[in-house]
Amino acid sequence: MARGPSASEGSKMTTELATKELEKKYNKLVGTAASNMCAHCGWCMDSCHVYLANHDPEVTPVAKAERIRRVYKKNHDWLSKIFPFWTGAKKLTDEELQKWVELAYRDCTLCERCVVNCPMGVETPQLIAAARSALTSVGKAPEILTQLADMAISREENAEIYRDFFLEQIKEIEKQLQAHLGTTDASIPIDKEGARILYVPLSGAHTILPEAIIFNVARESWTLSMFEASNYGVFLGDTAKAKRIAERIINEAKRLKVKEVVLTECGHAYTTMRWEAPKWFGGPLPFRVRSILEVLDEYVRDGRLKFDPSKNSEPVTYHDSCNLGRKGGLLEEPRRVLRAIAQDFREMTPNRLQSLCCGGGAGLVAIAEWSEARIKAGKPKADQIRQTGAKIVVTSCDNCRHQITELNEHYNLGIKVTSLCELTVQALVLPDGAMASTNSK
Amino acid sequence: MLSDGFVHFVEYELQVIALAWLFVLYAIKILQLLRLPMLREKGPGKGSAVSGALRSYANIFLPWSMESSKKHFWRWVEFGAYHVGAGIAILNTFTSPFAPGMMTQPVRWAFAILIAPALLLGLVKLARRITRPEMRLISTPDDYFSLASVELFFFSAIMALLLNTPLWRTVYFLITAGFLFYVPFSKISHYVYFFFAATITGGRYGWRGVRPPAREVK
Repeated sequence: MARGPSASEGSKMTTELATKELEKKYNKLVGTAASNMCAHCGWCMDSCHVYLANHDPEVTPVAKAERIRRVYKKNHDWLSKIFPFWTGAKKLTDEELQKWVELAYRDCTLCERCVVNCPMGVETPQLIAAARSALTSVGKAPEILTQLADMAISREENAEIYRDFFLEQIKEIEKQLQAHLGTTDASIPIDKEGARILYVPLSGAHTILPEAIIFNVARESWTLSMFEASNYGVFLGDTAKAKRIAERIINEAKRLKVKEVVLTECGHAYTTMRWEAPKWFGGPLPFRVRSILEVLDEYVRDGRLKFDPSKNSEPVTYHDSCNLGRKGGLLEEPRRVLRAIAQDFREMTPNRLQSLCCGGGAGLVAIAEWSEARIKAGKPKADQIRQTGAKIVVTSCDNCRHQITELNEHYNLGIKVTSLCELTVQALVLPDGAMASTNSK
Repeated sequence: MLSDGFVHFVEYELQVIALAWLFVLYAIKILQLLRLPMLREKGPGKGSAVSGALRSYANIFLPWSMESSKKHFWRWVEFGAYHVGAGIAILNTFTSPFAPGMMTQPVRWAFAILIAPALLLGLVKLARRITRPEMRLISTPDDYFSLASVELFFFSAIMALLLNTPLWRTVYFLITAGFLFYVPFSKISHYVYFFFAATITGGRYGWRGVRPPAREVK
C-alpha cells in the first residue's frame, strides 16, 4: 500500500503550492514594483479603517503588505536571496499561512484607501489579493465565500430546476409592481430578446422591485437577468471561478442580443463586470456595461423621471462604496441623483476618493465568525455618519448596506439605511393615468 | 596624510565606477520589470489614463490631494525638506568634482543650509522608527542601515561643503561611492520603481475616471 504524505511533507506541499500561487498572481509589473518601492514611511497607516478602529500595529496597510512582500522577496529580490535577515525575507510556513487568513480576509477589505494616500502609490490591495489567491489555492479561504461562489456556478448548471422557482418569485414581485403603479400594464420582462438593457439584480426583491418601478416609469426597454450580479470568485482571488461566474451574464446578454448590461447597486459586481472582466476575456465585452447609478443619472439629466424631493425631507447622506467610487469611478452620478430626489443631502467628511470603508467589504460581511472584528472596524464609519446628523444613509452596495445596518444597531445611530433606487422611488412622481411600459406593448 | 592622487581617484574615477555600477544594475532591474505582465485596462475608459498618470506624479507636490499629507501637513513638509536635502547632496557629488567653478563660497553655504534640515529630519525619522511600535514592526536592518548611511552622506556633504578640505572631500566621496554600490540593493531604490507605479496605478485611476478627483464638497 502506498504511503501518503506525512504531516511535515503535507505542510511543505501546502506552503510550496501557496508560494507558487502567490508568485503567479504577484509576479506582475505592478506587484513587483510594489514589493520594491515601499519605503516603509508609514504614511498609509491611518488611512486604514481597521487600524483607525483598533490601533494594532499589525494591521496597518504596510504591516500587512510587508508579511506578504517578505515571502515574495525571498525568491525574487537580489539582497533577500543572499541575506534574507537583512530585508526580513522568509520562506512561507504553515504558521505564516494561517496568519495570512486573518490578514487577507479579515483585516483588509481591499478598499484601496491606502493606495490613494501612499506618496508612492504602492498597491497594497494587489498584494493582499495575491495572498487571498494563495490561500484559496490550498483550501484555506473562508468556507462561506467558496460556497457562495460555487452556488453561483451551480445556479447556471441547474438553470432548469432553478427557473421555475425564479419565475414564481418574479410573478409575486410583478404583482407588487402593478399595485404600486396602479396598472396591470407594468411588467417585469424575462428573456426578452432584443431589449436595450439586461438588468442584473442581486437575489432578493429589494434589488428588483424599485428598479422595475423606475424602468417602467421611464418606459425603458429592458429585461431581467436570471442570474445575480455578485461574484464571490473575485473575493477569493480565484480568477477561474470569477470568470466562470461573470461568463453566465455575458452569455445571457449575448443570447438576448441586448445593447447593454446594467448592474444593480452592488459595488464589486460593477467593478468586476466593468473593469475586470474585459481583462479576463481579452478585450471589451460586446455590449456596454453600466451601473444602475449611471442609468438613473441619465434619466435625471434627460428629464425622463419627475421627482418631488419633499417626499424625502429628512437629512440624507451618501456612503461611497469603495468598489463603486475609489475603484470604479462612480463618484458624481449618485450625488446628482440625490440632489434631485432629496431636500437635504449632506456629505460625509471625507467623501468620494477619500471615503472611509464601511468595514464589511470584500466578502467580510458574509463571514459570521468575524462579525465582532467587522463591527469594530466599522466604528470610524459609524462616527462619520453620526457627524452628518443624517437620518437616512444611502449606499449603493449591498455589502455596505448590511454592514451599515449592523453599525446602526450596534452604535445606536438612529438612521435608516437604504439604496439609491429605493429612495428614488419614494420621490418619484407617477404619471397620471395608467402606466404603459414599452415592454407591455 | 592623503595624497593628491588618492583624493583625485576618489573624487573622479571611483565615482565613475560607482555610477556605472548603479546604472548597470538599474538597467538590469528595469529590463526585468518590463518583461513582467502589465495588467492594462481593457474595457472602454471613463477618463484619461494619461491624466491619471500625470496626476499621480503630481500628487506628492499637492499636499491637499492626499489625506495622509493634508492631515499631517508637517510630515509633508518634512518629506519635502528631506528630499530637497537629498537632491542637493546628490547634485553636489556632480558639481563639486565636475563643475568646481560654480561651487563658490555662497553656493557652498546655500547647499549646506539646504542639506542641514535633511540631516536633522533624518534623525527624527530614525527616532520615530525606533520608538513607534508601528514603525518598528515594519523596519528591517536595511531600513536602519539605509537611513543611517544617508545621515552619514548628509553629514559628510555638509562638512565637505563648509570646510572643503581634502580629508572631508575624501570622506564625502568615499561615502558617496559606498552608497552608490549599495543603493541598487536597498529600499532607497524606491525612486526608480515610483515611476512604474505612478504610471500604472495612476493610469488605472485616470482610465476609470477616479482621479483626477472631483472636488470634495464640505
